[in-house]
Amino acid sequence: MEFTMGLSKGIAWPWPIAVYLFLAGISGGALVVALALRFIKCQTTNTPLYKAAALISFVTISLGMLCLVLDLTNPMFFWRILVFYNFTSIMSLGVIALCAYIPLTAVLCLYAFEDDIKAIKGLSILLPLISMLKPIRRPLELLTLILAMSVCAYTGFLISTLIRFPLINTAVLPALFIASGVSAGAAASKMVSVLVFKEDLHSSELKLLHGAEWPIMITEILFIVMIAMSLATGNEGAQSAFSAFTSGVWANLFWVGVVGVGFLGPILLNFATGKTFSHSAKAFYLSGVCVISGMMCLRLFILYAGQTYGI
Amino acid sequence: MSENIERRRFLKGVGAASLIWGPMGCTSVEEDSSNTNKPHYVMVFDQNKCTGCGECKLACNTANNLPEGKSKCLMEHQSGGVEGKACPHCGKDKCNCERKFVRVSCQQCKNAPCVSVCPTGAAHRDPKTGIVTMDKSKCAGCKYCIGACPYNARFINEDTNVADNCDFCLSSKLSKGELPACVQLCKYDALVFGDINDPNSYVNKLLAVKDSVRMKPQFGTEPSLRYIPVVKLGV
Repeated sequence: MEFTMGLSKGIAWPWPIAVYLFLAGISGGALVVALALRFIKCQTTNTPLYKAAALISFVTISLGMLCLVLDLTNPMFFWRILVFYNFTSIMSLGVIALCAYIPLTAVLCLYAFEDDIKAIKGLSILLPLISMLKPIRRPLELLTLILAMSVCAYTGFLISTLIRFPLINTAVLPALFIASGVSAGAAASKMVSVLVFKEDLHSSELKLLHGAEWPIMITEILFIVMIAMSLATGNEGAQSAFSAFTSGVWANLFWVGVVGVGFLGPILLNFATGKTFSHSAKAFYLSGVCVISGMMCLRLFILYAGQTYGI
Repeated sequence: MSENIERRRFLKGVGAASLIWGPMGCTSVEEDSSNTNKPHYVMVFDQNKCTGCGECKLACNTANNLPEGKSKCLMEHQSGGVEGKACPHCGKDKCNCERKFVRVSCQQCKNAPCVSVCPTGAAHRDPKTGIVTMDKSKCAGCKYCIGACPYNARFINEDTNVADNCDFCLSSKLSKGELPACVQLCKYDALVFGDINDPNSYVNKLLAVKDSVRMKPQFGTEPSLRYIPVVKLGV
């Protein structure tokens, strides 16, 4: 005996949540890449990549919060999430992580743009704050790295608790979101560091990131294949959710947006074109835009197709 | 020699310890007896009796002051063909298939996903009755509970702008000692409500003799709604 009707029409979480998952992923991913590089290479200066990542992470997570708040049935209720907590709720744990993470991204911006802030008279009130925070820069950066990773994973855990939807309710989702967040965050930081902070297109840092790009992409593909396989070979509900990959508008989004633009785009731009083009600025930006759009498509696909095929 | 002293010291220690711990273990601690008698309210929907009249929906709407046309329970019409179309039950154009209805409402899970995912604790279990209900003043409207509910039995109340669910009329009826509005209004006794932990309650006796099923038991949510399905009799 079963029923198929429901008290709510349509999907509970529409596109603003997908945009939020996307922005939070970029924010965390950008910082993971920049801070990991900083620790591995023992950098002490503010590199263009660091500046770009700090700026991106702060801006994207702030916009993400805006999406999140605007999606509430009444945005004026958002303070309730900050006042009341429930420790069995992933969302509540995420709020705690974000309450620490968002101020830290702002602090990292202060570190990164110290010289620029000094140059602008109007911002001189920030200088005592910067000198106060300077002695604890290293531990704060370490904490930010951990939180950035957590925020990426959190966006996955957040929706993977929706047990009605086989495509979403998988163990792999947080890992997939970390991988795709890191690749899109790296792409965004690379582009901003070259465009705004005049990083050399062939600097050693960017070379290292170019090299890391492909293993991360392979990991992403592996995770997506894992999800698809577990659905295809799963029980009745899982099998019906597998049709998300094979039919309907969301399958088109997956094959065109995620696979075509997100994976094949950068691969073709880098390996199928002549060396002069693949090393040009044009190819660099185009490939970065492809990676980021692919990630946005992935979040949209997971959220919409996931909530469409329920048990 | 030294071994003997060691042994003596050990035995002394054991003696002293038993003198100290013995009485402590024997102190009478008051057992928490209130837990065993906690009510577990269940609702039984008897499909054999339901005619699909829809009075339950109307009763729900008025009892809970819901927006027009909205109710916390729905009736799903499962068989009996639509005019001009083949019967979904037997495939014939004209048939005498019985019409079947299923109540769609909050299943009042013992292991409720909405309660565990709610970030503010607005979706909570009433401590006295154990019924899953809403604290309207805490809900932020994030809709996490709506996505997490395996039964799609939660919704946004357009009047209050916060999430809502069927809580057996906890504040509007149960608190006054009345039965839920739908149970009161049902003319065919298709709905039975009561405390299954009370050995003298009607639901307890009913479920002891009737076969009943729960919706989507594979989710492990342990719903408190029981359904007595129509069973085909004869050949």
